[in-house]
Amino acid sequence: MALPLGALVVRAFADEWRAPALVPQDLGLRGVRLAFTGEAASAFMNSLEVALLTVAVALALAWPAARALGERRLRRPGPVFLLLAAPLLVPSYAIGSGLNEWLIRLGLDGSTLALVVGHLTFVLPYTIVVLLSGFGPRLTALEEMASTAGLSPVRRFLLVTVRSAAPTIGAAALLGFLVSWSDYGTSLAVGAGQPMLPLVLLPFVGSDPQVAASLSLLFLAPAVAALAVAVRAGRRPL
Amino acid sequence: MSGHALVCERLTVSPGGSPILRDLTLEVRAGTRVALVGPSGAGKTTLLRAIAGLEPLDSGSITLGGMRLDGLAPHRRGLAVVFQEPRLLPHLDVLDNVALPLRAAGRPRRERRRHAAAALAEVGLAAHGDRRVHGLSGGEQQRVALARALTGDPRLLLLDEPLAALDPNRRSDLRRMITEVQQRRRLTTVVITHDRAEAAELGDTIALMLEGRIVQHDEPRALFERPCGAAVARFFGVANLIPDGDAVLAVRPEHVRLEPDGRLRGLVVESVYRGDHVRIAVDVDGRRIHAHVDPAAAPRPGDEVGLELVTERTWRLPS
Repeated sequence: MALPLGALVVRAFADEWRAPALVPQDLGLRGVRLAFTGEAASAFMNSLEVALLTVAVALALAWPAARALGERRLRRPGPVFLLLAAPLLVPSYAIGSGLNEWLIRLGLDGSTLALVVGHLTFVLPYTIVVLLSGFGPRLTALEEMASTAGLSPVRRFLLVTVRSAAPTIGAAALLGFLVSWSDYGTSLAVGAGQPMLPLVLLPFVGSDPQVAASLSLLFLAPAVAALAVAVRAGRRPL
Repeated sequence: MSGHALVCERLTVSPGGSPILRDLTLEVRAGTRVALVGPSGAGKTTLLRAIAGLEPLDSGSITLGGMRLDGLAPHRRGLAVVFQEPRLLPHLDVLDNVALPLRAAGRPRRERRRHAAAALAEVGLAAHGDRRVHGLSGGEQQRVALARALTGDPRLLLLDEPLAALDPNRRSDLRRMITEVQQRRRLTTVVITHDRAEAAELGDTIALMLEGRIVQHDEPRALFERPCGAAVARFFGVANLIPDGDAVLAVRPEHVRLEPDGRLRGLVVESVYRGDHVRIAVDVDGRRIHAHVDPAAAPRPGDEVGLELVTERTWRLPS
């Protein structure tokens, strides 16, 4: 992984780097400047806003669903698990195109809400599946203990449920964020031309590799930050 | 500190739809310990969970010190539960785990840690307050759970097989600790065990549960020596139920003696060494009589022996 990433960093700062030379002829900040201005900058902000909103809504919706599945409250969970696996099977553009037909008729196409709804179709199942691993008899047992120890439902939720499930909630949020952040097909289908980072990045790949490399580094930033947070959390005792 | 009497009256509880407790009634005198015993599936844990408010009642009532508990949320019942597993919070240190009931009561941190330290000292873990719970042994974790239960100064202590996961030595230590703490605090206590000998040690009284009902609730000797029916007799190890006219004679195997001129004669068909005694089965006119005998004088399978019942220790049951 270090080899391609190293090349990407060099490419982002290489104002001139002609093949077959192994080192750039000229270094500079042109790519970085372009990546932080104009359409690229608004694409970054759009992607960030949509990903954060999508994660917040996904967590709120996934929480009760994952609890019901984790506590085996459904008689036949099989079909539900099949639906949860759907994002792996269905191309995102297909879902996005179908969804867009409805969004156009509702006058919502191209809005932030449309993008969030589009991203939710993929983020929500992932969020449920990850949250599911944190819910089950162990958490229920701790919550029962907390009730009999005198904790009110609100205190129990904050002190026991959220704290005990924190690593799982963090993992679900990170995965959801990265799925939304890197989505191309759905954003293309429902975005109605709204600049989003993956959509803005692609045209530069053929035309301006230095800007493409700078945008790719920007694109990587949340994943690196997530990795750093995960490593730090992993060192802390639960 | 003084205890509160617990009265469970005509409880029916159906977790998952089918009734587990059926019209069950149990009274526990204030400041005493009752050991709840019974085979798996008898409903012991369901009863404890119903008292704690973790299972809803179909019908019946639960009162503690004259106050109705049913209808109150679990956190408002003023009781404490020690579960089979310690159920400690991994993100808190030992002292904060023990202080949890005081945190629930909104007491200041310094005060709750002081009380928690005192409760930890009571269970012999004074030096463990700042440790993480994962670093403790199973027995220590269960003692932390006991300390946590005591910190909130509960009106009723419920223990659901708290010794089940421990080895025999640690079981014995914790058993002694539970009885000492209970006596010191005069805390009304219900403790579940499936071991009848342990029940005799843990309970001022023993309540035997069979199929969702209490079938006998009395002092330990009564259940061992004066069972009210054949099912109770069998559960408490009365291996010999001998028809005698319109009744059944209940005789414990330790109350059957080997006598060369005994009135009952038969062939030994089974002999099992049990450490401090040998359990033999003797075929007497087609009926098996079980006896515990001294290993030094134990007959072998195939030997003909004479047996005598210790008549003053036999008990007549309605057939």
